[in-house]
Amino acid sequence: MTGTGQVTTGPLPIGQFVQLVKQTVTRDPLFKNQALKGEVTQWKQYPSGHTYFSLRDQDGQMRAVIWKGRCAIDPGIKEGSEVVILASLDLYIRRGEIQLNVERIEPVSVLGELEKTKRLLVEQLKKEGEFDRPRQAIPTIPKHIAIITGAGSAALSDMQRLIENRWPGLRRTVIGVLVQGPRATEEIVRGLAVARRLSQPSVAESRGEPPVDLVIVGRGGGSPEDLWAFNLEPVARSIIASPVPVVSAVGHESDVLVSDLVADLRASTPSDAIERVVPVLPELHYFLDECEERLAVAARRQFRDNMQHLRTLHARLRVAPMAGLNRAKSKMLTLSSRMKVSVNQSIGIQTTRLAQFEASLSAIHPQRVLERGYSMTQTTDGVVLSSVEGLKSGQEIILNFADGSADAEIKNTHSNEGEK
Amino acid sequence: MTDKQPTYTEAMQRLETIVSTLERGGMGLDETLKLYEEGAKLLRLCKTELTTAEGRLNELQLDDIESELQAEEQ
Repeated sequence: MTGTGQVTTGPLPIGQFVQLVKQTVTRDPLFKNQALKGEVTQWKQYPSGHTYFSLRDQDGQMRAVIWKGRCAIDPGIKEGSEVVILASLDLYIRRGEIQLNVERIEPVSVLGELEKTKRLLVEQLKKEGEFDRPRQAIPTIPKHIAIITGAGSAALSDMQRLIENRWPGLRRTVIGVLVQGPRATEEIVRGLAVARRLSQPSVAESRGEPPVDLVIVGRGGGSPEDLWAFNLEPVARSIIASPVPVVSAVGHESDVLVSDLVADLRASTPSDAIERVVPVLPELHYFLDECEERLAVAARRQFRDNMQHLRTLHARLRVAPMAGLNRAKSKMLTLSSRMKVSVNQSIGIQTTRLAQFEASLSAIHPQRVLERGYSMTQTTDGVVLSSVEGLKSGQEIILNFADGSADAEIKNTHSNEGEK
Repeated sequence: MTDKQPTYTEAMQRLETIVSTLERGGMGLDETLKLYEEGAKLLRLCKTELTTAEGRLNELQLDDIESELQAEEQ
Protein backbone atom coordinates (compact mmCIF):
# COMPACT_ATOMS: atom_id res chain seq x y z
CA MET A 1 0.00 0.00 0.00
CA THR A 2 1.87 3.09 -1.18
CA GLY A 3 1.09 6.61 -2.26
CA THR A 4 -1.25 7.25 0.62
CA GLY A 5 0.52 10.38 1.63
CA GLN A 6 1.31 8.90 4.99
CA VAL A 7 4.76 9.85 6.21
CA THR A 8 4.75 7.76 9.34
CA THR A 9 4.63 4.00 9.35
CA GLY A 10 1.72 4.04 11.74
CA PRO A 11 -1.57 2.33 11.05
CA LEU A 12 -3.72 3.58 8.16
CA PRO A 13 -7.10 5.05 9.03
CA ILE A 14 -9.75 2.56 7.92
CA GLY A 15 -11.67 5.23 5.97
CA GLN A 16 -8.64 5.88 3.75
CA PHE A 17 -8.10 2.18 3.30
CA VAL A 18 -11.70 1.66 2.19
CA GLN A 19 -11.32 4.55 -0.26
CA LEU A 20 -8.26 2.84 -1.73
CA VAL A 21 -10.09 -0.45 -2.03
CA LYS A 22 -12.97 1.31 -3.77
CA GLN A 23 -10.58 2.94 -6.24
CA THR A 24 -8.93 -0.36 -7.04
CA VAL A 25 -12.21 -2.23 -7.39
CA THR A 26 -13.98 0.31 -9.55
CA ARG A 27 -11.03 0.87 -11.87
CA ASP A 28 -10.72 -2.75 -13.01
CA PRO A 29 -12.43 -3.15 -16.40
CA LEU A 30 -13.15 -6.77 -15.61
CA PHE A 31 -15.57 -5.61 -12.94
CA LYS A 32 -17.43 -3.25 -15.22
CA ASN A 33 -20.55 -4.25 -17.11
CA GLN A 34 -20.12 -7.87 -16.19
CA ALA A 35 -22.96 -10.21 -17.01
CA LEU A 36 -23.82 -12.35 -14.01
CA LYS A 37 -26.40 -14.95 -13.31
CA GLY A 38 -27.86 -16.28 -10.09
CA GLU A 39 -30.87 -16.54 -7.84
CA VAL A 40 -32.53 -13.51 -6.29
CA THR A 41 -32.78 -13.46 -2.51
CA GLN A 42 -33.69 -10.74 0.01
CA TRP A 43 -35.53 -8.89 -2.76
CA LYS A 44 -36.71 -5.55 -1.36
CA GLN A 45 -38.14 -2.54 -3.22
CA TYR A 46 -38.08 0.63 -1.11
CA PRO A 47 -40.48 3.57 -1.39
CA SER A 48 -37.48 5.70 -2.38
CA GLY A 49 -37.48 3.76 -5.67
CA HIS A 50 -34.21 1.88 -5.03
CA THR A 51 -34.29 -1.93 -5.06
CA TYR A 52 -31.94 -4.08 -2.98
CA PHE A 53 -31.34 -7.79 -3.23
CA SER A 54 -28.65 -10.47 -3.16
CA LEU A 55 -27.60 -12.60 -6.08
CA ARG A 56 -26.53 -16.07 -5.10
CA ASP A 57 -25.88 -19.59 -6.27
CA GLN A 58 -24.54 -22.66 -4.49
CA ASP A 59 -20.97 -21.28 -4.48
CA GLY A 60 -21.38 -17.72 -3.33
CA GLN A 61 -23.41 -14.52 -3.17
CA MET A 62 -23.17 -10.72 -3.30
CA ARG A 63 -25.31 -7.72 -2.45
CA ALA A 64 -26.78 -5.79 -5.35
CA VAL A 65 -28.64 -2.54 -5.82
CA ILE A 66 -30.80 -1.19 -8.63
CA TRP A 67 -30.86 2.60 -8.28
CA LYS A 68 -34.16 4.31 -8.91
CA GLY A 69 -35.01 4.53 -12.60
CA ARG A 70 -31.74 2.87 -13.66
CA CYS A 71 -33.51 0.13 -15.63
CA ALA A 72 -36.86 -1.47 -16.20
CA ILE A 73 -37.63 -4.26 -13.73
CA ASP A 74 -39.68 -7.18 -14.90
CA PRO A 75 -42.66 -7.37 -12.49
CA GLY A 76 -42.28 -11.15 -12.47
CA ILE A 77 -38.99 -10.98 -10.55
CA LYS A 78 -39.41 -12.07 -6.93
CA GLU A 79 -37.65 -14.00 -4.20
CA GLY A 80 -36.07 -17.10 -5.74
CA SER A 81 -36.18 -15.90 -9.39
CA GLU A 82 -33.31 -16.90 -11.66
CA VAL A 83 -32.00 -13.69 -13.26
CA VAL A 84 -29.21 -12.39 -15.42
CA ILE A 85 -27.84 -8.96 -14.55
CA LEU A 86 -25.38 -6.56 -16.15
CA ALA A 87 -23.59 -4.94 -13.23
CA SER A 88 -20.45 -3.14 -12.15
CA LEU A 89 -18.68 -3.67 -8.89
CA ASP A 90 -18.90 -0.87 -6.33
CA LEU A 91 -17.98 -0.39 -2.71
CA TYR A 92 -20.29 1.21 -0.20
CA ILE A 93 -17.75 3.15 1.81
CA ARG A 94 -19.86 3.75 4.92
CA ARG A 95 -20.24 0.07 5.53
CA GLY A 96 -17.18 -1.19 3.66
CA GLU A 97 -19.41 -3.54 1.76
CA ILE A 98 -18.86 -4.58 -1.81
CA GLN A 99 -22.01 -4.44 -3.89
CA LEU A 100 -23.13 -4.71 -7.48
CA ASN A 101 -24.57 -1.65 -9.19
CA VAL A 102 -27.12 -3.17 -11.55
CA GLU A 103 -27.52 -1.67 -15.03
CA ARG A 104 -29.95 -4.27 -16.33
CA ILE A 105 -31.87 -7.15 -14.91
CA GLU A 106 -33.78 -9.84 -16.79
CA PRO A 107 -35.47 -12.94 -15.51
CA VAL A 108 -34.08 -16.12 -17.05
CA SER A 109 -36.50 -17.55 -19.54
CA VAL A 110 -36.52 -20.97 -21.12
CA LEU A 111 -34.34 -19.58 -23.88
CA GLY A 112 -31.48 -19.37 -21.44
CA GLU A 113 -29.63 -16.60 -19.74
CA LEU A 114 -27.09 -16.20 -22.51
CA GLU A 115 -29.76 -15.09 -24.91
CA LYS A 116 -30.93 -12.54 -22.37
CA THR A 117 -27.60 -10.83 -21.83
CA LYS A 118 -26.85 -10.98 -25.47
CA ARG A 119 -30.15 -9.40 -26.35
CA LEU A 120 -29.50 -6.61 -23.90
CA LEU A 121 -26.11 -5.93 -25.38
CA VAL A 122 -27.32 -6.13 -28.95
CA GLU A 123 -30.10 -3.66 -28.15
CA GLN A 124 -27.66 -1.27 -26.60
CA LEU A 125 -25.11 -1.50 -29.40
CA LYS A 126 -27.84 -1.04 -31.96
CA LYS A 127 -29.04 2.06 -30.14
CA GLU A 128 -25.50 3.42 -30.20
CA GLY A 129 -25.34 2.81 -33.95
CA GLU A 130 -22.40 0.40 -33.70
CA PHE A 131 -23.92 -2.03 -36.21
CA ASP A 132 -24.30 0.69 -38.83
CA ARG A 133 -20.80 2.07 -38.52
CA PRO A 134 -18.66 1.79 -41.66
CA ARG A 135 -16.49 -1.33 -41.65
CA GLN A 136 -12.77 -1.33 -42.35
CA ALA A 137 -11.68 -2.96 -45.59
CA ILE A 138 -9.74 -6.22 -45.36
CA PRO A 139 -6.32 -5.72 -47.00
CA THR A 140 -5.82 -7.64 -50.24
CA ILE A 141 -2.32 -8.61 -49.17
CA PRO A 142 -2.14 -8.76 -45.38
CA LYS A 143 1.42 -7.95 -44.34
CA HIS A 144 1.06 -9.01 -40.74
CA ILE A 145 -1.88 -10.93 -39.30
CA ALA A 146 -2.51 -11.16 -35.58
CA ILE A 147 -4.40 -14.30 -34.61
CA ILE A 148 -6.03 -14.28 -31.19
CA THR A 149 -7.17 -17.76 -30.23
CA GLY A 150 -6.60 -20.66 -27.87
CA ALA A 151 -2.94 -21.66 -27.72
CA GLY A 152 -2.50 -25.23 -28.92
CA SER A 153 -6.14 -25.44 -29.98
CA ALA A 154 -7.39 -27.46 -32.91
CA ALA A 155 -8.73 -24.24 -34.40
CA LEU A 156 -5.23 -22.74 -34.35
CA SER A 157 -3.57 -25.74 -35.99
CA ASP A 158 -6.32 -25.74 -38.64
CA MET A 159 -5.62 -22.08 -39.36
CA GLN A 160 -1.84 -22.58 -39.41
CA ARG A 161 -2.12 -25.50 -41.80
CA LEU A 162 -4.47 -23.60 -44.10
CA ILE A 163 -2.23 -20.54 -44.16
CA GLU A 164 0.80 -22.66 -45.03
CA ASN A 165 -1.16 -24.27 -47.84
CA ARG A 166 -2.25 -20.95 -49.26
CA TRP A 167 0.72 -18.73 -48.57
CA PRO A 168 3.74 -20.43 -47.02
CA GLY A 169 5.63 -18.12 -44.72
CA LEU A 170 2.98 -15.41 -44.53
CA ARG A 171 3.89 -13.17 -41.61
CA ARG A 172 1.70 -13.69 -38.56
CA THR A 173 1.69 -13.38 -34.81
CA VAL A 174 -0.39 -15.78 -32.78
CA ILE A 175 -1.49 -14.47 -29.41
CA GLY A 176 -2.52 -17.43 -27.31
CA VAL A 177 -5.42 -16.65 -24.98
CA LEU A 178 -8.04 -18.52 -22.99
CA VAL A 179 -11.19 -18.63 -25.11
CA GLN A 180 -13.56 -20.09 -22.52
CA GLY A 181 -14.12 -20.03 -18.80
CA PRO A 182 -14.27 -17.06 -16.45
CA ARG A 183 -11.01 -15.49 -17.65
CA ALA A 184 -11.76 -15.74 -21.35
CA THR A 185 -13.35 -12.30 -21.74
CA GLU A 186 -10.48 -10.54 -20.05
CA GLU A 187 -7.83 -12.46 -22.01
CA ILE A 188 -9.50 -11.86 -25.36
CA VAL A 189 -9.71 -8.15 -24.54
CA ARG A 190 -6.04 -8.11 -23.59
CA GLY A 191 -5.19 -10.04 -26.75
CA LEU A 192 -6.96 -7.41 -28.83
CA ALA A 193 -5.03 -4.73 -26.91
CA VAL A 194 -1.75 -6.45 -27.83
CA ALA A 195 -2.80 -6.61 -31.48
CA ARG A 196 -3.62 -2.94 -31.31
CA ARG A 197 -0.15 -2.14 -30.00
CA LEU A 198 1.44 -4.28 -32.70
CA SER A 199 -0.50 -2.27 -35.25
CA GLN A 200 1.20 0.95 -34.17
CA PRO A 201 3.97 1.82 -36.64
CA SER A 202 6.38 2.87 -33.88
CA VAL A 203 5.98 -0.43 -32.00
CA ALA A 204 6.23 -2.42 -35.22
CA GLU A 205 9.35 -0.55 -36.25
CA SER A 206 11.13 -1.25 -32.99
CA ARG A 207 10.23 -4.93 -33.42
CA GLY A 208 11.55 -4.88 -36.97
CA GLU A 209 8.36 -6.03 -38.65
CA PRO A 210 5.46 -4.40 -40.49
CA PRO A 211 2.56 -3.25 -38.31
CA VAL A 212 -0.31 -5.66 -37.79
CA ASP A 213 -2.87 -4.84 -40.49
CA LEU A 214 -5.45 -7.54 -39.84
CA VAL A 215 -6.73 -9.28 -36.69
CA ILE A 216 -8.46 -12.63 -36.54
CA VAL A 217 -10.12 -13.39 -33.23
CA GLY A 218 -11.89 -16.66 -32.73
CA ARG A 219 -12.06 -20.25 -31.62
CA GLY A 220 -13.54 -23.56 -32.71
CA GLY A 221 -17.14 -24.52 -32.11
CA GLY A 222 -18.58 -25.34 -28.72
CA SER A 223 -21.63 -25.06 -26.54
CA PRO A 224 -23.25 -21.60 -26.18
CA GLU A 225 -21.67 -21.32 -22.73
CA ASP A 226 -18.24 -22.03 -24.19
CA LEU A 227 -18.66 -19.23 -26.69
CA TRP A 228 -20.09 -16.84 -24.14
CA ALA A 229 -17.12 -14.49 -24.09
CA PHE A 230 -17.79 -13.55 -27.71
CA ASN A 231 -21.22 -12.30 -26.72
CA LEU A 232 -19.97 -9.96 -24.03
CA GLU A 233 -19.60 -6.27 -24.10
CA PRO A 234 -15.86 -5.93 -23.33
CA VAL A 235 -14.98 -8.11 -26.33
CA ALA A 236 -17.49 -6.31 -28.54
CA ARG A 237 -16.14 -2.90 -27.47
CA SER A 238 -12.55 -3.95 -28.09
CA ILE A 239 -13.42 -5.16 -31.57
CA ILE A 240 -15.23 -1.90 -32.31
CA ALA A 241 -12.26 0.13 -31.06
CA SER A 242 -9.69 -1.76 -33.14
CA PRO A 243 -7.69 0.54 -35.44
CA VAL A 244 -7.21 -2.33 -37.93
CA PRO A 245 -9.88 -4.63 -39.37
CA VAL A 246 -11.01 -7.50 -37.16
CA VAL A 247 -12.37 -10.81 -38.40
CA SER A 248 -14.69 -12.63 -36.02
CA ALA A 249 -13.98 -16.32 -36.50
CA VAL A 250 -15.93 -18.39 -33.99
CA GLY A 251 -17.02 -21.86 -35.01
CA HIS A 252 -20.76 -22.06 -34.71
CA GLU A 253 -23.55 -23.19 -36.89
CA SER A 254 -26.70 -21.18 -36.61
CA ASP A 255 -26.57 -18.42 -34.05
CA VAL A 256 -24.92 -15.09 -34.63
CA LEU A 257 -22.60 -13.87 -31.89
CA VAL A 258 -22.20 -10.25 -30.87
CA SER A 259 -18.57 -10.38 -32.04
CA ASP A 260 -19.89 -11.31 -35.49
CA LEU A 261 -22.19 -8.33 -35.49
CA VAL A 262 -19.53 -5.78 -34.67
CA ALA A 263 -16.54 -7.25 -36.52
CA ASP A 264 -15.34 -5.90 -39.88
CA LEU A 265 -15.74 -9.37 -41.36
CA ARG A 266 -17.70 -12.34 -40.08
CA ALA A 267 -16.37 -15.81 -40.77
CA SER A 268 -18.32 -18.93 -39.88
CA THR A 269 -15.24 -20.80 -38.60
CA PRO A 270 -11.54 -20.09 -38.06
CA SER A 271 -10.77 -21.96 -41.29
CA ASP A 272 -13.36 -19.91 -43.14
CA ALA A 273 -11.62 -16.78 -41.87
CA ILE A 274 -8.30 -17.90 -43.36
CA GLU A 275 -9.93 -18.78 -46.66
CA ARG A 276 -11.49 -15.35 -46.82
CA VAL A 277 -8.49 -13.23 -45.91
CA VAL A 278 -5.38 -15.15 -46.97
CA PRO A 279 -4.88 -15.16 -50.74
CA VAL A 280 -3.47 -18.21 -52.49
CA LEU A 281 0.06 -17.14 -53.36
CA PRO A 282 0.48 -19.31 -56.50
CA GLU A 283 -2.73 -17.78 -57.84
CA LEU A 284 -1.36 -14.29 -57.32
CA HIS A 285 1.87 -15.28 -59.05
CA TYR A 286 -0.10 -16.87 -61.82
CA PHE A 287 -2.11 -13.69 -62.28
CA LEU A 288 1.02 -11.53 -62.32
CA ASP A 289 2.85 -13.86 -64.70
CA GLU A 290 -0.16 -13.87 -66.98
CA CYS A 291 -0.29 -10.08 -66.88
CA GLU A 292 3.41 -9.90 -67.64
CA GLU A 293 3.00 -12.24 -70.59
CA ARG A 294 -0.05 -10.43 -71.92
CA LEU A 295 1.68 -7.09 -71.48
CA ALA A 296 4.75 -8.26 -73.39
CA VAL A 297 2.74 -9.90 -76.18
CA ALA A 298 0.43 -6.91 -76.58
CA ALA A 299 3.31 -4.44 -76.58
CA ARG A 300 5.30 -6.54 -79.04
CA ARG A 301 2.30 -6.74 -81.34
CA GLN A 302 1.89 -2.99 -81.11
CA PHE A 303 5.55 -2.53 -82.04
CA ARG A 304 5.24 -5.02 -84.86
CA ASP A 305 2.14 -3.32 -86.23
CA ASN A 306 3.88 0.00 -86.04
CA MET A 307 6.99 -1.40 -87.72
CA GLN A 308 4.90 -3.03 -90.44
CA HIS A 309 3.19 0.26 -91.08
CA LEU A 310 6.54 1.99 -91.25
CA ARG A 311 7.89 -0.62 -93.63
CA THR A 312 4.90 -0.24 -95.92
CA LEU A 313 5.31 3.50 -95.87
CA HIS A 314 9.02 3.15 -96.56
CA ALA A 315 8.42 0.87 -99.53
CA ARG A 316 5.81 3.20 -100.95
CA LEU A 317 8.15 6.11 -100.42
CA ARG A 318 10.91 4.36 -102.35
CA VAL A 319 8.68 3.53 -105.29
CA ALA A 320 6.80 6.80 -105.41
CA PRO A 321 9.48 9.15 -106.90
CA MET A 322 10.45 6.55 -109.53
CA ALA A 323 6.90 6.26 -110.68
CA GLY A 324 6.67 10.02 -110.86
CA LEU A 325 9.94 10.30 -112.67
CA ASN A 326 8.96 7.71 -115.24
CA ARG A 327 5.69 9.44 -115.78
CA ALA A 328 7.48 12.76 -116.16
CA LYS A 329 10.06 11.25 -118.46
CA SER A 330 7.56 9.78 -120.90
CA LYS A 331 5.56 12.96 -120.79
CA MET A 332 8.67 14.89 -121.61
CA LEU A 333 9.50 12.59 -124.48
CA THR A 334 6.05 13.03 -125.95
CA LEU A 335 6.28 16.75 -125.47
CA SER A 336 9.70 17.01 -127.01
CA SER A 337 8.74 15.00 -130.08
CA ARG A 338 5.60 17.06 -130.43
CA MET A 339 7.70 20.17 -130.05
CA LYS A 340 10.18 18.99 -132.66
CA VAL A 341 7.40 18.40 -135.13
CA SER A 342 5.75 21.69 -134.46
CA VAL A 343 9.04 23.61 -134.55
CA ASN A 344 9.96 22.01 -137.86
CA GLN A 345 6.60 22.85 -139.28
CA SER A 346 6.84 26.37 -138.06
CA ILE A 347 10.36 26.78 -139.50
CA GLY A 348 9.19 25.56 -142.91
CA ILE A 349 6.33 28.01 -142.97
CA GLN A 350 8.54 30.85 -141.92
CA THR A 351 11.14 30.03 -144.63
CA THR A 352 8.55 30.05 -147.40
CA ARG A 353 7.05 33.27 -146.13
CA LEU A 354 10.51 34.79 -145.96
CA ALA A 355 11.26 33.90 -149.63
CA GLN A 356 7.96 35.37 -150.75
CA PHE A 357 8.61 38.47 -148.75
CA GLU A 358 12.09 38.75 -150.29
CA ALA A 359 10.68 38.41 -153.79
CA SER A 360 8.04 41.09 -153.31
CA LEU A 361 10.56 43.24 -151.56
CA SER A 362 13.01 43.13 -154.48
CA ALA A 363 10.21 43.91 -156.92
CA ILE A 364 9.59 47.28 -155.35
CA HIS A 365 13.21 48.27 -154.76
CA PRO A 366 13.79 51.93 -156.08
CA GLN A 367 16.80 50.70 -158.14
CA ARG A 368 14.44 48.56 -160.21
CA VAL A 369 12.21 51.61 -160.81
CA LEU A 370 15.14 53.78 -161.82
CA GLU A 371 16.29 51.02 -164.19
CA ARG A 372 12.93 51.36 -165.90
CA GLY A 373 13.67 55.06 -166.74
CA TYR A 374 12.30 56.88 -163.74
CA SER A 375 14.46 59.32 -161.74
CA MET A 376 14.33 60.31 -158.07
CA THR A 377 14.67 63.95 -157.02
CA GLN A 378 16.25 64.89 -153.75
CA THR A 379 17.06 68.13 -151.96
CA THR A 380 20.72 68.76 -151.26
CA ASP A 381 19.88 67.58 -147.72
CA GLY A 382 18.88 64.16 -149.07
CA VAL A 383 15.09 64.60 -148.67
CA VAL A 384 13.21 62.76 -151.43
CA LEU A 385 10.92 65.16 -153.27
CA SER A 386 7.51 63.89 -154.29
CA SER A 387 5.78 67.24 -154.84
CA VAL A 388 6.44 70.47 -156.64
CA GLU A 389 5.04 72.31 -153.69
CA GLY A 390 7.65 74.31 -151.77
CA LEU A 391 10.21 74.37 -154.57
CA LYS A 392 11.60 77.73 -155.42
CA SER A 393 13.34 78.99 -158.59
CA GLY A 394 17.12 78.90 -158.25
CA GLN A 395 16.96 76.04 -155.58
CA GLU A 396 19.59 73.38 -156.13
CA ILE A 397 18.40 69.77 -156.35
CA ILE A 398 19.92 66.35 -157.04
CA LEU A 399 18.52 64.06 -159.70
CA ASN A 400 19.16 60.34 -159.12
CA PHE A 401 19.28 57.89 -162.04
CA ALA A 402 19.91 54.17 -162.14
CA ASP A 403 23.54 54.59 -163.05
CA GLY A 404 24.37 57.92 -161.35
CA SER A 405 23.17 61.39 -160.30
CA ALA A 406 23.21 64.98 -161.55
CA ASP A 407 23.11 68.36 -159.79
CA ALA A 408 20.43 70.74 -161.18
CA GLU A 409 18.79 74.11 -160.52
CA ILE A 410 15.05 74.88 -160.51
CA LYS A 411 14.08 77.52 -163.17
CA ASN A 412 10.28 77.58 -162.80
CA THR A 413 7.66 75.50 -161.06
CA HIS A 414 4.28 74.46 -162.47
CA SER A 415 1.70 72.61 -160.45
CA ASN A 416 -0.69 70.28 -162.31
CA GLU A 417 -3.68 72.20 -160.96
CA GLY A 418 -2.23 75.46 -162.22
CA GLU A 419 -2.12 74.06 -165.77
CA LYS A 420 -5.77 73.10 -165.73
CA MET B 1 -2.46 7.32 -61.23
CA THR B 2 -1.55 9.61 -58.36
CA ASP B 3 1.93 10.23 -56.99
CA LYS B 4 1.05 8.12 -53.98
CA GLN B 5 2.14 4.50 -54.15
CA PRO B 6 -0.93 2.54 -55.26
CA THR B 7 -2.22 -0.33 -53.14
CA TYR B 8 -1.93 -3.86 -54.46
CA THR B 9 -5.57 -3.82 -55.55
CA GLU B 10 -5.21 -0.47 -57.29
CA ALA B 11 -2.04 -1.66 -59.01
CA MET B 12 -3.75 -4.83 -60.24
CA GLN B 13 -6.75 -2.92 -61.54
CA ARG B 14 -4.53 -0.46 -63.41
CA LEU B 15 -2.48 -3.33 -64.77
CA GLU B 16 -5.62 -4.98 -66.13
CA THR B 17 -6.62 -1.75 -67.81
CA ILE B 18 -3.19 -1.30 -69.37
CA VAL B 19 -3.03 -4.84 -70.68
CA SER B 20 -6.48 -4.72 -72.24
CA THR B 21 -5.79 -1.29 -73.73
CA LEU B 22 -2.62 -2.60 -75.33
CA GLU B 23 -4.43 -5.72 -76.49
CA ARG B 24 -7.07 -3.60 -78.15
CA GLY B 25 -4.24 -2.10 -80.21
CA GLY B 26 -4.22 0.83 -82.59
CA MET B 27 -1.76 2.88 -80.59
CA GLY B 28 1.31 4.77 -81.63
CA LEU B 29 4.82 3.84 -80.55
CA ASP B 30 5.00 6.59 -77.94
CA GLU B 31 1.77 5.53 -76.27
CA THR B 32 2.70 1.85 -76.45
CA LEU B 33 6.06 2.47 -74.84
CA LYS B 34 4.56 4.62 -72.11
CA LEU B 35 1.91 2.04 -71.24
CA TYR B 36 4.38 -0.81 -71.36
CA GLU B 37 6.72 0.97 -68.98
CA GLU B 38 3.91 1.78 -66.57
CA GLY B 39 2.72 -1.83 -66.69
CA ALA B 40 6.20 -3.17 -66.04
CA LYS B 41 6.57 -0.81 -63.07
CA LEU B 42 3.24 -1.96 -61.60
CA LEU B 43 4.27 -5.58 -62.03
CA ARG B 44 7.49 -4.98 -60.14
CA LEU B 45 5.53 -3.20 -57.40
CA CYS B 46 3.06 -6.09 -57.04
CA LYS B 47 5.85 -8.66 -56.88
CA THR B 48 7.66 -6.67 -54.22
CA GLU B 49 4.42 -6.39 -52.29
CA LEU B 50 4.10 -10.17 -52.28
CA THR B 51 7.58 -10.67 -50.86
CA THR B 52 7.04 -8.11 -48.10
CA ALA B 53 4.10 -10.15 -46.80
CA GLU B 54 6.43 -12.99 -45.95
CA GLY B 55 8.24 -12.97 -42.65
CA ARG B 56 8.50 -14.16 -39.12
CA LEU B 57 5.95 -16.50 -37.54
CA ASN B 58 5.48 -15.61 -33.90
CA GLU B 59 3.47 -17.76 -31.57
CA LEU B 60 3.32 -16.41 -28.06
CA GLN B 61 1.22 -16.71 -24.95
CA LEU B 62 -0.63 -13.57 -23.99
CA ASP B 63 1.47 -12.97 -20.86
CA ASP B 64 4.73 -13.45 -22.76
CA ILE B 65 3.94 -11.06 -25.55
CA GLU B 66 2.62 -8.51 -23.07
CA SER B 67 5.85 -8.56 -21.09
CA GLU B 68 7.84 -8.52 -24.32
CA LEU B 69 6.01 -5.37 -25.41
CA GLN B 70 6.41 -3.84 -21.99
CA ALA B 71 10.16 -4.51 -22.05
CA GLU B 72 10.43 -2.92 -25.49
CA GLU B 73 8.66 0.19 -24.30
CA GLN B 74 11.25 0.74 -21.59
